Amino acid sequence: MDAIVKGYNHALHGMAALAGIVIFAAFAMIVVDVLMRIVGLEPFVFILTTVEYILLWFTMLAAPYLLRIKGHVFIDAVTQFLPPKIKWSVAKLVYILGITACLIYGYHLVILLIESIQSGELDMRSFEIPIWILFLPMPFCYFMCAVEFCRYLIGIDDMYSQAIQDRENV
Amino acid sequence: MEWYWALATLIGMVIFFMALGVPVAFTFITTNIIGVIIFYGSTAGWIQIADNSTQLITRFTLGPVPMFIMMGALFFHTGLAIRVFDGLDVLFGKLPGRLCFLTVAGGSLFSTLTGSSMANTAMLGSLMVPEMQKRGYNWQMSMGPILGTGGLAMIIPPSALGVLLASVASIDVGKLLIAGFLPGFVLAGLYAAMITLQLKLRPGSAPAYDVEMPPVAERIKLVCVNILPMGIIVFMVVGFIILGWATPTEAAAFGVFGVMVVAAGFRVLSITAIRTAVEATVKVGAMVFFIIMSSTVFSQLLAFSGASAGLLKWAISFDISKYWVLLLMFFILIALGMFMDATSMMLITVPIFFPLAEQLGFDLIWFGLFVLMTFEMAGTTPPFGLLLYVMLGVAPKGTTLYQVAAAAFPFLVCDAILILMMIQWPQLALWLPSLMG
Repeated sequence: MDAIVKGYNHALHGMAALAGIVIFAAFAMIVVDVLMRIVGLEPFVFILTTVEYILLWFTMLAAPYLLRIKGHVFIDAVTQFLPPKIKWSVAKLVYILGITACLIYGYHLVILLIESIQSGELDMRSFEIPIWILFLPMPFCYFMCAVEFCRYLIGIDDMYSQAIQDRENV
Repeated sequence: MEWYWALATLIGMVIFFMALGVPVAFTFITTNIIGVIIFYGSTAGWIQIADNSTQLITRFTLGPVPMFIMMGALFFHTGLAIRVFDGLDVLFGKLPGRLCFLTVAGGSLFSTLTGSSMANTAMLGSLMVPEMQKRGYNWQMSMGPILGTGGLAMIIPPSALGVLLASVASIDVGKLLIAGFLPGFVLAGLYAAMITLQLKLRPGSAPAYDVEMPPVAERIKLVCVNILPMGIIVFMVVGFIILGWATPTEAAAFGVFGVMVVAAGFRVLSITAIRTAVEATVKVGAMVFFIIMSSTVFSQLLAFSGASAGLLKWAISFDISKYWVLLLMFFILIALGMFMDATSMMLITVPIFFPLAEQLGFDLIWFGLFVLMTFEMAGTTPPFGLLLYVMLGVAPKGTTLYQVAAAAFPFLVCDAILILMMIQWPQLALWLPSLMG
């Protein structure tokens, strides 16, 4: 069991690290693309589509990690005034809702992924790309988010323990 | 189902789940799942919502959001932000309230280099409040200008929220970003005027103190070294977009590149700074994108259920001035902003407000800026304006939320004045975008 937990935690942090790497790569690719255009070279056609795909991969890779570090924004304008016992029950309900929603999305994304691999459908953008590449990280993201909600449900951690001034946003 | 029931059901579900404390992204996911059962009549549409959720997020136009976050984070973590302050500091002599004016000038400059109002407020707060307290400034004068100026990052380009708004509302990202430039600096001017007025009414609230001024040549050198290179970065972002040399995404990436080059020039670029900036990008960017992704289907459900069209038809059936409708939208946004963050507000209201504004004959770029201004005001409105809490986090111990909100109030009046100016002179917002063709 310990090995599974350890492996899962490595995967969670590894995916977050990969999210950072791909978004930095997107930045580098855009700069190279513009510089090539400025010096009169033909830019690579794959950059635009790759950056578009990176935006999705970056989001999906980081989402479970953000749930772990309480990085998903929520509103506690109402719940903070509830008595502790009711607050605890509401929190458990939220975790169950989260698990259910993630499993439904994750299951349907697995179907979409399998169908897109079987059909060999291509995504027509600045260059053609198999659409399964788009769906690939999504089931992992949602299933891992379900696991993170499970951690909160069984009491390993409390999602609502972060002070409002420590939350980040644009 | 009648449109008003559909609207009440969908908006009601979002507000109910948010009130329960469900994270915003998962609020939209849960609402989508239930909404499909209600409006499609079966679970067969679930596969469709999973598929559709990728539509908005894979647009190149959203690219500036992570780039602007990275640019701002690099600017702070390399210490370049402090240099800007050092450069500006020598320009203000011994005058009452100099630190307040320095906050407005520095905060406006920061806003041209960072896309996040929370980061801007946190930076200004942690930098300026201790110094102001040391110099005997009262709590109103030490927190008010910071709260006002911190929010400027929402409208002065590069604004990450502006990019999100333009993408979700399907308006030109570059034009909306550029539209905020002039009003942003007019607002900074209004803040400076407000500080002057406050000092006249309460002269002892921000006392003058002795400042050792370096010789003129030294001052010019400090300004040239610390501020001018930032001007090049601002040109790379704003100028490239106005001149049409680059798309907003490309300009944003060049902004990051520019900060790296300048930081390398000052020998402050380090692997740690880059890593911290990328970490900040992952934390904020991915969180916001996950919400955007989850809310895409929500907008589609509003359209499919007939709620958007029904509300639109109903709203334009009244024979009243369009400015009354604008006022109503303003109050709805302010009321929502008392309880939720700008991204959530945006995703709930944009599918309804933008078609309505278009029907009423408002220019959508102008309206986008109006919405951003309202977000800025909502961020400093109690009881849950996020910027108030950011300020509270860096304020001295014992500071109350009431004090922070009271200090922010005069600057909210300035925001309202700017909105009135934009209504009276729409060209204030639309002149620069008109140059883009």
